[in-house]
Amino acid sequence: MASIKQQFEIPGKMKMWSMTLIGVGLLALILGFITKGASSDVHEKAVFWGTILYNSIFFLLICNASMFFICATTLAMGGWSTTFRRVPEAISTLVPIFGSVAAILMCYIVLSGKSYIYNWLDPKVVADSVELKGKAGFLSPGLFITWTILSIGLWSLLGMKMRSLSKEADDTNFDSTTGQKFIWRNTVIAGLFIVWFALTVGSVTPWFWLMSIDGAWYSTMYSWYTFASSFVTGMALIGIWVIYLKNKGYLELTNNEHLHDIGKFMFAFSIFWTYLWFDQYMLIWYSNQPEETIYFKDRVQGAYKGIFFLNLIINFICPLLILMKKSAKRNYTLMTFMCVLIIFGHWLDFYQMVMGSVSRGQVSMGWLDFGIMAFYVGLLIFFVGRALASKPLLSRNNPFLKESIIHHT
Amino acid sequence: MHLKYESQLREPLVYGEKTYHQVTEDIIRPIEVKPSKLWYIGFFISVALLTFGVYCIYRDVTYGIGQWNLNKTVGWGWDITNFVWWIGIGHAGTLISAILLLFRQGWRTGVNRAAEAMTIFAVICAGQFPIWHMGRVWLCFFIFPYPNTRGPVWINFNSPLLWDVFAISTYFTVSLLFWYSGLIPDLASVRDRAKTKLRKHLYGIVSFGWTGSTKHWQRHESLSLVLAGLATPLVLSVHTIVSFDFATSVIPGWHTTIFPPYFVAGAIFSGFAMVQSLLLVVRRVYGLQDYITIGHIEAMNKVIVLTGSIVGCAYLTELFMAWYSQNKYEGYAFFYSRANLFSPYGWAYYGMMACNVLSPQIFWFRKMRRNVTVTFFMSVLVNVGMWFERFVIIVTSIYRDYLPSSWSVYYRPTIFELGFYLGTFGLFFTCFFLFSKYFPVIAIAEIKHVLKTSGESYKDNMGKIEVQQPEEFAHEYAH
Repeated sequence: MASIKQQFEIPGKMKMWSMTLIGVGLLALILGFITKGASSDVHEKAVFWGTILYNSIFFLLICNASMFFICATTLAMGGWSTTFRRVPEAISTLVPIFGSVAAILMCYIVLSGKSYIYNWLDPKVVADSVELKGKAGFLSPGLFITWTILSIGLWSLLGMKMRSLSKEADDTNFDSTTGQKFIWRNTVIAGLFIVWFALTVGSVTPWFWLMSIDGAWYSTMYSWYTFASSFVTGMALIGIWVIYLKNKGYLELTNNEHLHDIGKFMFAFSIFWTYLWFDQYMLIWYSNQPEETIYFKDRVQGAYKGIFFLNLIINFICPLLILMKKSAKRNYTLMTFMCVLIIFGHWLDFYQMVMGSVSRGQVSMGWLDFGIMAFYVGLLIFFVGRALASKPLLSRNNPFLKESIIHHT
Repeated sequence: MHLKYESQLREPLVYGEKTYHQVTEDIIRPIEVKPSKLWYIGFFISVALLTFGVYCIYRDVTYGIGQWNLNKTVGWGWDITNFVWWIGIGHAGTLISAILLLFRQGWRTGVNRAAEAMTIFAVICAGQFPIWHMGRVWLCFFIFPYPNTRGPVWINFNSPLLWDVFAISTYFTVSLLFWYSGLIPDLASVRDRAKTKLRKHLYGIVSFGWTGSTKHWQRHESLSLVLAGLATPLVLSVHTIVSFDFATSVIPGWHTTIFPPYFVAGAIFSGFAMVQSLLLVVRRVYGLQDYITIGHIEAMNKVIVLTGSIVGCAYLTELFMAWYSQNKYEGYAFFYSRANLFSPYGWAYYGMMACNVLSPQIFWFRKMRRNVTVTFFMSVLVNVGMWFERFVIIVTSIYRDYLPSSWSVYYRPTIFELGFYLGTFGLFFTCFFLFSKYFPVIAIAEIKHVLKTSGESYKDNMGKIEVQQPEEFAHEYAH
């Protein structure tokens, strides 16, 4: 094989697209603020802040899923993904950026007491509710902000450490002893990340950010469900970047075998998401207790009915039927389609998780949602492109690279 | 040309200068010689336990399950605890054979055969509990949906207990097929080496006339993949449905949405612990340290620390939500009946936390993961802890009924409940002893498959490849 294209050059078209999307997004943001955010109608305000909130959390979590993927692979000593490892690394550089935006946003929402988003921020509502009064020790602005900053701060910090370790490997030739040491150092950071990930995404963080929108409602499954939703989207995001780079003639050593495995992850975790979805829904439906069914009552029987079932069709039926076949997972067109579909589908999932409670009984989906989404997609393209260009595309000294080159599913 | 390459950073899966012949020799030898004294002692203890178990069941059938200490309040006790415990243990085998096969994990080859056998025996043991708990066991065919003459009396499809019947019987069938189809080539190897006519004949029957032709292998490989695909959802479904037995109800402490995935994680946790307990003994007794290496043990300990931590995360989530929900009944179940050390069963909750959540954390340390004694001790501890988990869930949620007048006295099992449980141990180990005597405990064909990439003597040759540049390596591979 001739030389490998190591340097990603950001195409002009990509720059233009990202700037256009960011521009459209900013426009939507400003218009949204004028028409909704600054409106005197509480419902309009709720729609404005709610829309920004779910987009911020969604895009943060799906980028953080890339770092989760790297760390989980490291701990499992998985070698297969090494040829395209720089892609999830590049995506994960967005965690500090999206994280800061989300943290500022959420701190603002909490500190300014926007009780139309988090109902526990209203002292009157709390005083009238036995449940909210009882858990005021947990649902408090101080704890919320501390936990938010800690979550995002440590994800960013440990993610940075993982990426700098990977960069270090570019200038070092390992023999078996130094290679072992390198893997060991990776393992330690990855272990710390995973533990912190379990304590945040796997438990406490979604309770604060999302579940507490319905302050009185609770489900023990909620955080794992959020994790599954964001992780499968994260895999689709990795998939779409890998396909993009392949189409542009980069990542020569990544082939159908790798794409096939990314497809398997998308398939498997779509089913896993559905599994958690079913467990949560079925158990609440079966025991039929009003304090729990209230969550689904708004969604299954009210205005959100269409979105509720669309969510299942896009995120379960489609992956199940389309990604089942081996040839589909090796087909660029189909995989691109599925990646986009899954990202959209779980964006919709986050939409109903948040807006189903913020904008009760009235589906607010409209130009603002797509505008804010465009803003985030634009930022994502811009920053991932930049991160890809800043490092060689192949982690050429990684001890598992050769296994990855001959990877065969 | 590099299809046989594997990074030198990975430990060999097979130690020693092994050839294909040597592999066959090492693994089949224990089947061909007379069993050791130790085998006989173990076997007779197992049969004795089994006999006692059969006696206890006989008493239960003739006198009714009033022989047990169950009462109106604690209607589920040791029997259901033991049922869930055994079902949980029966999870590792299929996980290893199906999910790890789909993940292309080479290390599964050393342990899959014994783990699958263990699965099957554990499911047989588990099945005993609901069957004999029926009381009128001769009517057990009522649980099957068939055209009957009982008029409108029909099984209740809305009941998770019925879903159990389907889930477990499907799981058992697929696991059995998977295990047996994997055994066929190896049984043929035993047949081909047989010295006596009878032996040749018997192993000939059970190996279905396997010749080892390409066609046979081709079919065998595709069958394995199809069965792996079928078994993967089953690994999740069985314990999910077992968790539904509890979670669909409105009993405080049972009704919680996280139950299904957390039961599955717990099942894998206890299953791997049982695999460790069994294999640490087998590798020692049969001298199979070259095949079931420290690397294998370490890998399984990693699974144990992972699943143990997932379970821990779920325990704490549950406990937190009992408070967060501000539901008085949940609060009572968790903060009085369970997490209060001075309540009647508080000790069981703390025992569970110590064994399942705290103790596996020592496996974050490589030295501990690779220590055989520690591993063995831990594997027993984990299974004790997982037994406590089920006991805590079942008994502490029901022994204090809503009305204090219905509160139960301190529930402890009778000798017959205990004997029934011991009897299943007898059954389990009797089966396992027979299995290890008559079947190859390691998948010979699969070991041969990984030998040239992961065998110790082959890995030494890869030094040349390790120093190649990626371009050069990829170029050579492409041609």
